[in-house]
Amino acid sequence: MAVRILLVDDHPIVRQGLRTLLEGRPGWEVVGEASDGYEALEKVTSLQPDVVVLDVTMPRMNGLEACRSIQKRKNDGLEVLFVTQHDSPQMMREALDAGARGYVVKSNAARDLLEAVEAVSQHRVFTALAKSIQVTS
Amino acid sequence: MKLRILLADDHEIVRRGLCALLQKHEGWEVCGEASDGREAIEMAKQLKPDVVIVDIGMPHLNGLDTTRQLLQHDANFKVIVLTITDSDQVIREALDAGARGFVLKSDAARDLVSAVEALQSKRMFFTPRVNDLVLAGFLDKGHAISRDQPPILPTLTVREREVTQLLAEGKSSKEVASLLNLSTKTVETHRSNIMRKLSLHSIRDLVVYAIKNNIIQIQMPPQIHTPTETTVA
Repeated sequence: MAVRILLVDDHPIVRQGLRTLLEGRPGWEVVGEASDGYEALEKVTSLQPDVVVLDVTMPRMNGLEACRSIQKRKNDGLEVLFVTQHDSPQMMREALDAGARGYVVKSNAARDLLEAVEAVSQHRVFTALAKSIQVTS
Repeated sequence: MKLRILLADDHEIVRRGLCALLQKHEGWEVCGEASDGREAIEMAKQLKPDVVIVDIGMPHLNGLDTTRQLLQHDANFKVIVLTITDSDQVIREALDAGARGFVLKSDAARDLVSAVEALQSKRMFFTPRVNDLVLAGFLDKGHAISRDQPPILPTLTVREREVTQLLAEGKSSKEVASLLNLSTKTVETHRSNIMRKLSLHSIRDLVVYAIKNNIIQIQMPPQIHTPTETTVA
């Protein structure tokens, strides 16, 4: 299944790592990158991705605020997946409350990211803290 | 002959990004990847890379102590430190540890290739802020970098610093003993010595000390909305 992905993280080297991982999957395409929440909002509008892979801690506008704004303007198919270094149930709850469909911890991104993108692109919930993974329809 | 680079960062996704960046450069190869400082030291001893790139905020053994131990083992190792902050203290410690390059993680995509090229040409590479501090030290103005300043961790041995980091990461004496191949009793002796030398009275004090002195690093999350902030109509 083809999936168009927007990467949002303030560290270019992290975006490069995520891109390398995601583009290894046939049919998946990283259609754009953004380095903060404001840029993410612009690119969601202009690029119409299927999945936004979003960091939490970013300058200017953090990922939670960006996610809430994306929910107000998104097309029906778009889903948000957080990739963050905060291995915290409280932060995960906050992310889901902001409208995200997925939550992955950065230290385990190489293990969890592909499965998470696949799940959220099919509108399933995928959450993975360091020691627990959950997928629900 | 290719320039061989060893990468040490606890995030595989960051290592992937760094690999992709470095391997675009003809004549360079990433000869190994380590996910913590201890692994980096073992791999460096085996692989003898030309350049070692270490993240400061690694578990088990942080990047600064990794740099110190690498250079104690072999002064010819060329180390570039990757960091999320260029505070005066971190800069001072990185220089003191013997790093020849200092790159902000946020600028790695722009600066890391230049840093490796510099080391390859037997030069050093620092961010403009480090250069300013070094120059200030040379001119003896303001917050100078000076070897005469008391060291950040004046009284701890290498082993005690390792134990400090592991305890501050929340590990028990038994777990520390297992990681360092020591007896639990030896770890507890180190622990007592650390607390006495640093005049600390609890593990909480030790964690605060470790954070303040960049032995462990934490990143604060953005403000989370608590239920008490919710207005009920």
